[in-house]
Amino acid sequence: MVLLHVTDLNVSFDTDDGVVKAVRGISFDVDRGKTLGIVGESGSGKSVSTQTLAGLTRGARVSGSAQFDGLDLIKASPSQRRSVLGRKIGMIFQDPLTSLHPAYRVGAQIVETIRAHDRSISKRAARLRAIELLGMVGIPFPSERVDEFPHQFSGGMRQRVMIAMAMALDPTLLIADEPTTALDVTVQAQVLELMRKVQAEFGTAIILITHDLGVIADVADDVAVMYAGTIVERAPRDEIFYQPHHPYTEGLLDSMPGRVERGQPLRPVKGSPPSLIDLPPGCPFAPRCPYRFDRCDQEVPVLQTVFGDEQHQSACFLPTEIEERKALREQLVEKGGIR
Amino acid sequence: MSSDEVLLSASGVSKRFNVGSRGLLGGRLQLSAVDNVSLEIKKGETLGLVGESGCGKSSLARCLTRLYDVDEGTITFDGRDITNLGRRQMQPLRSEMQMIFQDPYGSLNPRRRVGSIIGDALAIHGNRGKGTRRQQVQELMEIVGLNPEHYNRYPADFSGGQRQRIGIARALALKPKLIVCDEPVSALDVSIQAQVINLLQDLQREFDLTYLFISHDLSVVQHISDRIAVMYLGRIVESGPVEEVFTASSHPYTRALLSAKPIADPRAAEQRDRIVLAGDLPSPISPPSGCRFHPRCPKAEQDCVTVVPTLEILRGAGPDAQRVECLHPLEADQDLSSFTPSIADTIIGADAAATGSREVAS
Repeated sequence: MVLLHVTDLNVSFDTDDGVVKAVRGISFDVDRGKTLGIVGESGSGKSVSTQTLAGLTRGARVSGSAQFDGLDLIKASPSQRRSVLGRKIGMIFQDPLTSLHPAYRVGAQIVETIRAHDRSISKRAARLRAIELLGMVGIPFPSERVDEFPHQFSGGMRQRVMIAMAMALDPTLLIADEPTTALDVTVQAQVLELMRKVQAEFGTAIILITHDLGVIADVADDVAVMYAGTIVERAPRDEIFYQPHHPYTEGLLDSMPGRVERGQPLRPVKGSPPSLIDLPPGCPFAPRCPYRFDRCDQEVPVLQTVFGDEQHQSACFLPTEIEERKALREQLVEKGGIR
Repeated sequence: MSSDEVLLSASGVSKRFNVGSRGLLGGRLQLSAVDNVSLEIKKGETLGLVGESGCGKSSLARCLTRLYDVDEGTITFDGRDITNLGRRQMQPLRSEMQMIFQDPYGSLNPRRRVGSIIGDALAIHGNRGKGTRRQQVQELMEIVGLNPEHYNRYPADFSGGQRQRIGIARALALKPKLIVCDEPVSALDVSIQAQVINLLQDLQREFDLTYLFISHDLSVVQHISDRIAVMYLGRIVESGPVEEVFTASSHPYTRALLSAKPIADPRAAEQRDRIVLAGDLPSPISPPSGCRFHPRCPKAEQDCVTVVPTLEILRGAGPDAQRVECLHPLEADQDLSSFTPSIADTIIGADAAATGSREVAS
């Protein structure tokens, strides 16, 4: 069942150098209880798109719609939006130190979140709830640590506190923007484990934004790959990893150490992403694409169904037939176009 | 490629920092960043140094290159004891060991042109090659894949990946023997990261370089290293040829670290056993007694609390041996997840109790 339905979202910023088109006409759905992974490199628009949903992109020009629980988040008034954010949509960010107020005890910050949405809950009840939440996310001795300050927690523990706060009002959607990027691998494993547990227990839908395909492989059900402000490929997780259609997805996977044999060189995507002020006229990926042909420079490809699978869409002019697509890759590998 | 000749060796190196005092009459508080570390780097090889943040990887690198004075131990570089060399005596050696840093933004002076950033080393240490300094710098820029015409640009005009190439050109300028790469690709996007890794490997072949490659990214280290050393809380807990350590790790920490490594392959990710370590890295100001890993170790036994293990050869000999610092190392076919932390809760309290309280809550 669709929980969040985003259509044709555009976000741009006016800067001194020109208009930065950060997000250009993206559409996606998030299903109840499922995890959508949004993957892309810096500047691909993955964070801006979800921040816009939460009304956090001030000064941006926004168009499109985002239907959530009978409300269009884009057109909603600030007060309408406030009634949803925090209560029905929880958010966690990359840096748990700057997302917590350094001068307030963590318990007080959770209590504030709870009471901001429901004044009828007494302070005492909210505090008990805060302790319960801290225990749920695996903070040892929650009834003592509830009165500590953020600096007394380690990075992984702070991220747990953020998850506790985001889950305080039992939201139906959790937006996690690079939640484990600042954490070490062993702590990352703990936090991902916790997010899985929370989802299993409360049926929360999750939008997970990350640059790390390893994290995506671990927790996402569906994946959207973003490049230069657009979604270039969208599919269930395994399709993305084992049958990518878009050359950018293919390039990202080929760039991962661990997917080539040791001693062999990696196969990086050549060049670097385009400027979002001055985009190429055709496909934004064309300048870096090993398959590039004339049409790519003239026409902008749109998402279309590929490999005969309704759930798998790619914005690329390459053949949508699986055997033909595979043959093309083999040809290119042979010619040395993909090292 | 790598020979058996050792370029740099450290034996029993320790480094402590003073971090304030224990109140009026108390003694000084010391943070033990590197504790009794011994390792060897062979000519032409890449030694990968892995561990979590705060485990002492960078401090160790700075000791080895003598950017820090060491408190104990000896360091030998190219057959010469450099442990106690003074600033002036180190000066000629500086050109033989260079560093590449993580942050391509912070490590380049924004007010200086690329040409002089790369050329400074040549100016300080005297020209070594042919041609004018400008010609040499442009040649270096070409080698690392930068456009030599950008000689007069400022760092701000370059992207993150290109800046890292500037840092690499600067490190190469003096034709060093050893390059310490401290998280050189961590700040870069995946596709750019792969370009830089390939460049580092090409340069190693071409110029016969030796790398000490520090990273927290196990996939990158696995790809680029010949041998690896795993650090935990200031000590090397396991080391050896990369295949052996990755396929038959015997220290519980290595095993847990490897199992937490994200892999971009959903089927493989689902199949493997996850060992989720409880708690966080303890404070290096008051490290745990005995084996420093015991409070988080699922396999810890009573003697781990009191006995300090030493790095012992497990199999093989010489620099290529696999060494492990554990009283009860794992067999290759043993599964760490089958152990339940028995002593952890009783001893360390707070952080290690995380697993316990989670069970109570759920």
